[in-house]
Amino acid sequence: MDLSEHIIMRELDVPDINDFEVYRRHGGWEAYRMALKEKTPAEIVAMVKESGLRGRGGAGFPTGIKWGFLPKGVYPRYLLCNCDESEPGTFNNHQIIDRNPHQLIEGVALSAYAIECHTAYIYMRGEFAAAAITLERAIAAAYRAGFLGRNILGTGFDLDIYVHRGAGAYICGEETALMESLEGKIGQPRLKPPFPAVAGLYGKPTIINNVETLANVPRIVEKGVAWYRSHGTEKSPGTKCFSLSGHVNRPGNYELPFGVPLRELIESPEYGGGMRGGRPVKIIIPGGASAPWLTHEHLDVPLDYESVAAAGSMLGSGAVIVLNDTVKAPHVAYKMDEFFKHESCGKCTPCREGTHWLVRVLHRIAEEGRAAPEDIPTLHSIYNQMAGNCFCLLGESAVMPIKSALTLFPEEFEAVVAASRHHPHGNGHGDGRHGPVIPLTAKR
Amino acid sequence: MLLETHRDEIEAILSRYHSPRSAVLPLLYLAQDTYGYLTETAIREVAAILNMPPTDVFEVVGFYTLFYKRPVGTWVLQVCDDVPCCYLGAEELIAALKQRLGIVEEQTTGDGMFTLQRVKCLAACDRAPVLQANLDYVYDVTPERVNALLANLRARAAEARQRGVSGRFAEDFEWGPDGALIRIDRAAPYRPRQFPAAPPSAPPEPEPVPEADAGHDQLADRKGSPL
Ligand SMILES: Cc1cc2nc3c(=O)[nH]c(=O)nc-3n(C[C@H](O)[C@H](O)[C@H](O)COP(=O)(O)O)c2cc1C
Ligand code: SF4
Ligand code: FES
Repeated sequence: MDLSEHIIMRELDVPDINDFEVYRRHGGWEAYRMALKEKTPAEIVAMVKESGLRGRGGAGFPTGIKWGFLPKGVYPRYLLCNCDESEPGTFNNHQIIDRNPHQLIEGVALSAYAIECHTAYIYMRGEFAAAAITLERAIAAAYRAGFLGRNILGTGFDLDIYVHRGAGAYICGEETALMESLEGKIGQPRLKPPFPAVAGLYGKPTIINNVETLANVPRIVEKGVAWYRSHGTEKSPGTKCFSLSGHVNRPGNYELPFGVPLRELIESPEYGGGMRGGRPVKIIIPGGASAPWLTHEHLDVPLDYESVAAAGSMLGSGAVIVLNDTVKAPHVAYKMDEFFKHESCGKCTPCREGTHWLVRVLHRIAEEGRAAPEDIPTLHSIYNQMAGNCFCLLGESAVMPIKSALTLFPEEFEAVVAASRHHPHGNGHGDGRHGPVIPLTAKR
Repeated sequence: MLLETHRDEIEAILSRYHSPRSAVLPLLYLAQDTYGYLTETAIREVAAILNMPPTDVFEVVGFYTLFYKRPVGTWVLQVCDDVPCCYLGAEELIAALKQRLGIVEEQTTGDGMFTLQRVKCLAACDRAPVLQANLDYVYDVTPERVNALLANLRARAAEARQRGVSGRFAEDFEWGPDGALIRIDRAAPYRPRQFPAAPPSAPPEPEPVPEADAGHDQLADRKGSPL
């Protein structure tokens, strides 16, 4: 499956494409100029709606429909570009900004025009410090050229775009936590409703979209809806920038049409290039840390939202982590849940305590190789108590790795229990040191 | 103090937001770079500039991981140990750094040069193992490159003190053909990484450095940093 032209990683091969003039010579900023002069905001919203563009931040919600939720006649409105990207395996937002910052800025500017907003913030995770500088330089070039600021291109449209750096907290990628953080508070999610489109940043109507989502908008406006829909599938139109990592020969970002089979992404010499050392695939995590795991049996699943869901997982952020048979399932679950434990914001008990408890038991099993027979029911019981009871999706996501590991590879947990019967420090039947762990500590 | 030394920068930051409180993270970064870490005085100063209750600013400092409430080394090395890095050599890298520096996680070397931390995914999983040194990215740091990395960072200590630990002037680095670190040319086209056909041979045993082997996690106050 080859693309004649990239949409998101546009002009991928042009040196200096991060320079304002080079981007312009390659057709950059034309869609924005044309839109401002010839199209109304409502026409742009309609185009994005018809294009079928779906949010790339995880949930896959149609972008045009989200924009349509803004209440009529309420101003100011805000546009927030979500670049908090911190989930294990996701790294395309980072590279879109490093390599082609102007495409994102043009996408933000076009979208701001479409939703009639005059202030947009790009919220970047704090660790993207060098990328924030790249982006700020590119924004400054756009101001100098008169594409941002007051009375843009003589059309009367005003727009300011600011970069805001977070300070190291994955939960700030959750849309309401991001707004709390931008308002100068700690990043804990807000109760919904009200939804951000109604009452968001500073209580005003707010649209929040992912970097990759917004990077699509210039091409949709420039080349039209029919052209855009000629890529991908009926329900998942366009392309996706898949972030491929783990035990493949060529980890990296690959922009491919939705519907490309997992096998092609992993094995094609142009993309993943097969598994390192030819070892077999054991675990595939197709959509970032929160996605249920797949195995080698799922290599023929097409990568689009519906097909991956039908296979029992989710496409999420399109981060495909592929691990070979050298990894142990309890250890992968342990590392993943350690991530969620570390990033839990501490607001609600099931997540704050549940992730701690999971990690304690899993640490013993995966790192020390000790387990009592009651540990397995304990793990089942913890995730069952978390599922459906957490305040936001972070806690719900933390259930997935342990649930996947216990469902797909139960024998690996049982093997640890069996081995523990001969452990030098105990018989594995609970002598006080090896019994189920009772959660004692609060957050962090 | 901050208001006297950085008035223009503070005003520029405040002008971006509808509410001054929104400027708390950028101002904390500024304070951290100015004082070396976030002293209690620095936190109260930020609170006063923003007209925020100091407890709220203390809460913010405690919530986010990129703020340091105690002295740190000239270089803060943050190594990603998340899936997938952990299965592509992050643990070996951390072990090599620990041995070479003579410290464990969350400690600072006796000469005040390096603080070592484990962190979660840095969004550069294709270039594993990765670390950030004062939020400069360094990609593909295999254990055999640890000596070259530490030598490079030592040589750039003055630059690090000048720039501070908060990444307000960060750059990214990769390995040049001769094994030296070079700044990434952001104009170069994106290329996925290609592993060599044969896996690299086992890393040589790193030698510990004598002057750095006493791990201290408390340092003299770094007041009076040039920023
Ligand atoms: C815990 C958590 C973390 C998230 N992190 C991100 C993130 O880093 N980037 C992102 O775009 N969306 C993230 N999201 C999804 C956002 O809440 C939101 O749905 C998204 O930014 C909407 O943009 P889209 O419609 O363009 O997908 C996260 C959600 C949750 C629950
Ligand atoms: S589920 Fe976790 S991250 Fe979400 S609100 Fe509760 S404690 Fe915070
Ligand atoms: S897992 Fe290390 S950078 Fe993502």
